Amino acid sequence: MTDLRPSDDEFEPYEEDRGIPLPVSWIAIALALWGIVMLYHNNRSVMIGRSERSEAAKPQSRDVGAGGAGIFLARCATCHQPNGSGVAGAVPPLASSPFLKAKPEVVVQILLHGIDGPIRVGDDVFDGHMPSFASVLSDDDLAQVANHVRKGWGASQTISAAFVAGQRARFPDRGAWNGGSEIAATLDPTLPPQPAPRPDAGTGIDPAVAGLVQHGSGDAWACASCHGSQGQGRANVPRLAGLPAAYISAQLAAFASGSRRDDTMTVVARALSQNQRETVGNYYAGLRTPSTARPSLDGDLERGEILALQGDWKHGVPACFSCHGPSGFGVAPGFPALAAQHPAYTADQLAAWRGKVHRASPNDVMNMVANSLSDSDRRAVADFLATLPPVPAAHRQEPVHGRSVAR
Amino acid sequence: MNRILPLSILALAILALATLMLVVVPGMQINAQPATPGLQPYTAIQLRGRQTYVSMGCVYCHSQQPRSTDQGPDGERGWGRPAIASDYAYDSPHLLGTMRTGPDLSNIGARLPNQAWHLAHLYQPRSVSAWSIMPAYSFLFEVKERAAPGDVVVRIPNGRGPKHGVLVAKPEAIDLVAYLQSLDRTMVAPAHAERDDGYAKSER
Amino acid sequence: MEPTIGLLLALSFLVSLLALTFLIWAVSSRQMAFNQAQARTIFVAGEEGHADNPGISPNADDDTHHFDPARAGIDAISARPVTILLTTAVLWLVVGSIFGLTASLKLHWPDWLGDEAWLTFGRVRTIHLNIVIYGWSSLGLLGVVFWVAPRMFHTRLRHPHLAEVGALIWNLALLAAVFALATGWTDGEEWLEIPWQIDMLLAVASACFVLPLLRTAAARNVHHIYVTGWYWMAAICWFPVLFVIANLPGLFVGAQQATVNWWFAHNVLGLWLTPLGVGAGYYFIPKIIGKPIYSYSLSLLGFWALALFYSQVGIHHLIGGPVPTWVVTLSIVHSVMMFVPVITVAINQHVTVAQNMWAFKQSIALRFVSLGAICYTLASFQGSIEALRSINTVVHFTQYTVGHAHLGAYTFLSFTLFGAVYHMMPRITGCSWPWPRLIPVHFWLVVIGFTVYFVALSIGGIYQGLAMLDATRPFADSVILLKPYLESRSVGGALMTLGHFVFAAHFAAILLQRRPAAVSSAPMTQPVVAA
Repeated sequence: MTDLRPSDDEFEPYEEDRGIPLPVSWIAIALALWGIVMLYHNNRSVMIGRSERSEAAKPQSRDVGAGGAGIFLARCATCHQPNGSGVAGAVPPLASSPFLKAKPEVVVQILLHGIDGPIRVGDDVFDGHMPSFASVLSDDDLAQVANHVRKGWGASQTISAAFVAGQRARFPDRGAWNGGSEIAATLDPTLPPQPAPRPDAGTGIDPAVAGLVQHGSGDAWACASCHGSQGQGRANVPRLAGLPAAYISAQLAAFASGSRRDDTMTVVARALSQNQRETVGNYYAGLRTPSTARPSLDGDLERGEILALQGDWKHGVPACFSCHGPSGFGVAPGFPALAAQHPAYTADQLAAWRGKVHRASPNDVMNMVANSLSDSDRRAVADFLATLPPVPAAHRQEPVHGRSVAR
Repeated sequence: MNRILPLSILALAILALATLMLVVVPGMQINAQPATPGLQPYTAIQLRGRQTYVSMGCVYCHSQQPRSTDQGPDGERGWGRPAIASDYAYDSPHLLGTMRTGPDLSNIGARLPNQAWHLAHLYQPRSVSAWSIMPAYSFLFEVKERAAPGDVVVRIPNGRGPKHGVLVAKPEAIDLVAYLQSLDRTMVAPAHAERDDGYAKSER
Repeated sequence: MEPTIGLLLALSFLVSLLALTFLIWAVSSRQMAFNQAQARTIFVAGEEGHADNPGISPNADDDTHHFDPARAGIDAISARPVTILLTTAVLWLVVGSIFGLTASLKLHWPDWLGDEAWLTFGRVRTIHLNIVIYGWSSLGLLGVVFWVAPRMFHTRLRHPHLAEVGALIWNLALLAAVFALATGWTDGEEWLEIPWQIDMLLAVASACFVLPLLRTAAARNVHHIYVTGWYWMAAICWFPVLFVIANLPGLFVGAQQATVNWWFAHNVLGLWLTPLGVGAGYYFIPKIIGKPIYSYSLSLLGFWALALFYSQVGIHHLIGGPVPTWVVTLSIVHSVMMFVPVITVAINQHVTVAQNMWAFKQSIALRFVSLGAICYTLASFQGSIEALRSINTVVHFTQYTVGHAHLGAYTFLSFTLFGAVYHMMPRITGCSWPWPRLIPVHFWLVVIGFTVYFVALSIGGIYQGLAMLDATRPFADSVILLKPYLESRSVGGALMTLGHFVFAAHFAAILLQRRPAAVSSAPMTQPVVAA
């Protein structure tokens, strides 16, 4: 082959064989070193990612520490007090309570189903509102906490997880115990005399409400089509069961007027009359549904617990429970229940307060609180609240349809 | 650099190395993981709906891969837990997407399970969200004088529906909604799942 | 798999580094016979030192040279396949731009043309992408390849009919693909939408181009293969392999399919369109100026570094996604290493132009090609930075990436092609451009249009990404804030489309112009504007 390169008519001198400029080599070396460091760091990220997933994979991921005592402090002491003394006139004492000295199934059944009705401990009658722990504690946890309270203040007979499992299977579908009298009649007749139960309020739901909730009407889509057949909610769709009736109807009014922002709920709320909003509120306020919430935002549950119970005054955050009631059960009419709420919803609402999307808070309290919470604090407190047992509904009302709640 | 054969062979060898690193080895790693426990294969109806999702090009505006909480607020928006490789064991074509002109849809079935909502929104997205720039899929519906037995009648809010007759969803629309309702990846992720943990940072 | 194994796998990066080190050493210590003289193989005797700017400037140098590709019959043989490739490419450009503009308008007028399934955004956008990538860019660059390669190798094109058959099959397959996508028949993965049955036709067509190029190279009348030749031969070997593997039906599922998807999608840019475009820049810039490129040994480093690093960047499209961490990090690291080949290409191409600014002012073809080369540098730097996790977390999933894609696929490839077409067509037809004043009109329409397009999407995309990352803002905010930027993009896109109409009309005019004699039948008597 012939090289046709012109060899004789060079018109301008060129530097032959220009090499690789030194800066190019330096840049290449610097980038290569950076790349190796990046790849090495890769390993650490994978380890952290795995530990986050294994945290999330634990069935009840709150590490409560020392067995029954730890569970008691985390779950019960807010109301019953760490020493079991209760709160005069509001929460029955555990110390020397006849219910703890009775047959072991009594305490287990109360833990599993909660109480909603009058109960006598010693000489005092209390209006009992104890939540059900069936959906948030395992059989083993329930056995440990039952043993802890019975050994501390009642009998010393040991309860096993298998025993709890048997008790759980005994009344799979029932709601809360209707006060001390039903417990005495069903479980242990040797209990001291108990006040008469509250008359059953929830029999017979207005078929119009049931139709509205389950099938919708006009432009209003059925509530149940997103919030679930029992108002249990899911993902960022809030749980409605057990929220104060007035709170629900106020929110519907806010959606309708546009002072609370949500495209879908605005359509629904505008299609409902004031009367319908109130009826729907009453319906959900009386609905008793096991918790289907679980932590899902990688939140630090210990931090969340501190925020909920004590707040963080250094940053101007009051305890959630100081307004939303002990155990986050809500205070009618204005403060919604937080317990057992889905974390994506709670965190998203807190973020919305901070972003000033909401404008319906009395004195902008929630805006101020949310402004003081960091991103990780929002996720921490939302995840913690999801581990709490659901609010015991104010009065009994049976759900319209089947009881099984998809988790 | 004056010989064609060595040049071609070396060029193809480099491509083979890239294929090994980006396709073969990650594939072995991903395929070693069983489907996420609780993940259901699609039913025939859901698969038909998925085909409509594919053919309408929904993937060009909607991702299906929530990020981790260390990276973004996907979890707080209700889009779901961080996506892992085994969530897609039944997906072909994959629909991970690279654009979020609209929200992520990995868990749309969990956070918006309402068929009537989806049908109205598909017919005219702006009947629900005035700000939406999603195309209307009105051609998946038909207007009839009156509904025949078995017809799924769709009601469009805010007066955005047809002025006369009843609006009936065609089977493609019903199947598409069935697919959207099936998108639910809320099951717990195993610790040894594969995903890009590059943003993971220890908070505690 | 244990993380440590992932670490070991990721350190396969060291293989690429070793190869790079070897190259730098070999070049620096003159292990390879490699010198600046070889950079002159693109010239024939007498060409060097003269600007080559045919058919535009009336005072163009019309010296006849010792060796003239036209008189030697080289151009005459390539003319037919190249005309077919370029004409169809320009037609696809016009159609593709209309689809692109339609998709852009639909993003802010969502109810416009909304009653037909084939006009829904998801389909219009897909048709746009496939037409401009496989129609305009691929066919256009193949036209450049088959015009330049014989001149570069100083011999006539071998198997010209095979190339024509390839062009024919390719066009028919693409036409079928457009109808398939319009009716909703799609494979459903980005960049791989065309149904695999039709893809097989495209693969056959692409195979038809391999032989003509390699046989022409083998039969060359010059010892050295110029740098452009390496890029093009590598690309023409890579593409059929890539395309067939990625389109094998039923082989990949789920998250693995996603890695295959992005391995392909980035390699079709990195190992097909980019080498074709960079190769064209390496030819046209020194050829038009009439001086060899700045440092020929750098170009060797640039070529192999591109092959080593570009081939493994694809998984940066899945950052934060459901694929193993190490493969994502591997792609990020390779993306950043792309600085090395891009800098070498930038030094060679831009310094050559910068030392000869008179040519930049004089030749509009050089202005297009050189601007394309500058945009290659910018798009590549932007891409490397975009792959960093801290940047990617903002701009991934946003319109910013659309701006970036167009900086690469539009300004780099299309500007290079515009320049090449303005340079080649007078030679192919033997006529000057009929309306030389239209060329600056085209230039400014696309330059201004693209500037509006790119600035709007880049700024809008960053705001969109920041809004999406902010938990305190509802998702709707990210959509609402984007609308003015989408409207600006449509304005930019409309200007670009208008520019394409001007270009296509001018192209049609030079093609249909009455000629003194048919080029293909009487090459020897053909008057040559400038060789």
